[in-house]
Amino acid sequence: MKVFFQKKKIIFHTELKKFSSKNKFSGSISSFLGKVRPHRNRKEIQFLEIEFYKKMAYYQAERNLKKILSKIQIDDFLIIHRYGKLYPSENIILVLVASEHRKDGLTFTKKSVEWFKKEITFWKKETFHSHSSWVQPEYE
Amino acid sequence: MKILYFAQIKESIGKDQDIIEFKSEISINQLIEELISKGEKYKKSFDQIKNLRCAVNCEYTTNYNKILKNKDEIAFFPPVTGG
Repeated sequence: MKVFFQKKKIIFHTELKKFSSKNKFSGSISSFLGKVRPHRNRKEIQFLEIEFYKKMAYYQAERNLKKILSKIQIDDFLIIHRYGKLYPSENIILVLVASEHRKDGLTFTKKSVEWFKKEITFWKKETFHSHSSWVQPEYE
Repeated sequence: MKILYFAQIKESIGKDQDIIEFKSEISINQLIEELISKGEKYKKSFDQIKNLRCAVNCEYTTNYNKILKNKDEIAFFPPVTGG
């Protein structure tokens, strides 16, 4: 399982360098970097808190990523997602994919990011100047 | 049986888990009734949280007649926000 949930910051260039060296014979490296937005509905976000159900997140991520991998061919991947307290502009999720051909790498990147954005057992709470509120799911 | 709470329901109940041993079989519906009988905070939480989700051993379930075992891990939470 190459999925990691961590409190510490994601340093994009460090992770990319390590991953690219590890997969130096792959034909392509695809990436996605998600960041904390500074506003919601024109209100300035002070910080974001992410709570998660760790055991279920790993369990469901493993199963879903296996499903994606059954249809495409890639050499390697790394997914890092932060939890805890995050501030606007900080990196929240990083997906790196090494593959012989770009098409499979980009497909894995897109599908894994979409799954994480919608399904992972995470709950976000945003704090503004005057109050805090739980983020509502977009699909509800 | 380990019962976990996340996000709004955790805040509303005021704790993140309960551990309860049952002497006989119990369904999810019966477990919720049992929890509601523990006090006003539980009652309010299960009544007011919209679209409460339930997972048994990390699998979502909508079958609240499902029979639980003492070794099971049950989680109650609102719809996920995602990553």
